Amino acid sequence: MNCKDWEERIALGASGDLGSAETAEVVRHLAECGGCRRFAEGIRESLELLRSAHEEPIDAGHYTAVRAAVLAQLAQPPRHSWRRWLWGAALAAGLAGATLFLATLFVARPPAEQPRGNLAEVRPPVVEPRLTEPVRQPPQRRTVRPAPVRIWKTIGPPPLVEPIVVKLVTDDPDIVIYWIADRKGAEE
Amino acid sequence: MAPPLDGTDELATVLAAARSGDLAAFEILMRRHERLVLVTALRLLGKMEDAQDASQEVFLRLYRNLGKVQASQNMAGWLYRVTVNVCHDVRRRRPEETSVEDAAELVAMGDNPQQAATRKERRRVLEMSLRLLSEKERAALVLRDLEGLSTGEVAGILGTSQATVRSQIFKARIKMKDFVERYFRRRT
Repeated sequence: MNCKDWEERIALGASGDLGSAETAEVVRHLAECGGCRRFAEGIRESLELLRSAHEEPIDAGHYTAVRAAVLAQLAQPPRHSWRRWLWGAALAAGLAGATLFLATLFVARPPAEQPRGNLAEVRPPVVEPRLTEPVRQPPQRRTVRPAPVRIWKTIGPPPLVEPIVVKLVTDDPDIVIYWIADRKGAEE
Repeated sequence: MAPPLDGTDELATVLAAARSGDLAAFEILMRRHERLVLVTALRLLGKMEDAQDASQEVFLRLYRNLGKVQASQNMAGWLYRVTVNVCHDVRRRRPEETSVEDAAELVAMGDNPQQAATRKERRRVLEMSLRLLSEKERAALVLRDLEGLSTGEVAGILGTSQATVRSQIFKARIKMKDFVERYFRRRT
């Protein structure tokens, strides 16, 4: 280990930042090495100089000025100023705007798709349900292309008393056609 | 360091009074710790004006946090931590006006070697040598070597490990030593 390697230990040992074993090693090395002794002396002297400068008292007026400024600020009545009121108003307006926006979105949203339950998609060839009576079409707002038509048909053993529900999904997501057919007239 | 008021009945009484809004009690707390706060801030910032601003902010934070500062807690540790943080903020807002090069220039411009040991000059050496350090090295050295805290306490205040603090202190001491030696070599 050359003397450069000892510098950290010597610098730390100057204020007791080393353990006892390391301190003993440093002391041993300093007894043998004049260069490191000078280095250690330099560290010690600079620390003493700086500490003595640091401990010199500061003009009391500086403390007084700080205390006076702090107490003056604390003695002021709390500022229920227009600024705080303005922030509150801005926050309330923002919240109201956000609520209105969300409400608009909710109203304009297309109706949620019916839960499919145990429905399965049946692809064409289209099953023409034989209906016992004509199904009344809901009024169409726009031209609907009839094909391709996806037919949703119940699978599994439905309860005997329940009619078969056939759901026709058009290209227009707003238009869904349901046929409710009596089991007697429907194909299995 | 502040006199050992922490943890005593006296501190509890003063704290309770200050919490209830008694500004006279709070002034007692300020007087008790004003040297700690102002001198630490001065060493960290290098300018009295900045140090006073930082001290005001520290005491205002103390007032706002009186409910959190327990009588049994180490109030000095809390104040050191807040002082370091506030000084960090101040330094970020106001970069140092005098650079390290300017400081070296000031050394060269000195003209009276006989006054090298005067109080004013020692303080100047302290201020200039502190400018040579990085912010973290400066904080570590001020707390460890000038304020006399232990390495563990410094690590707690700076939110770092003891190994890191030791490394910072080592580098800072070497820089300080070199600066002090250079300064007095030039002066003589």
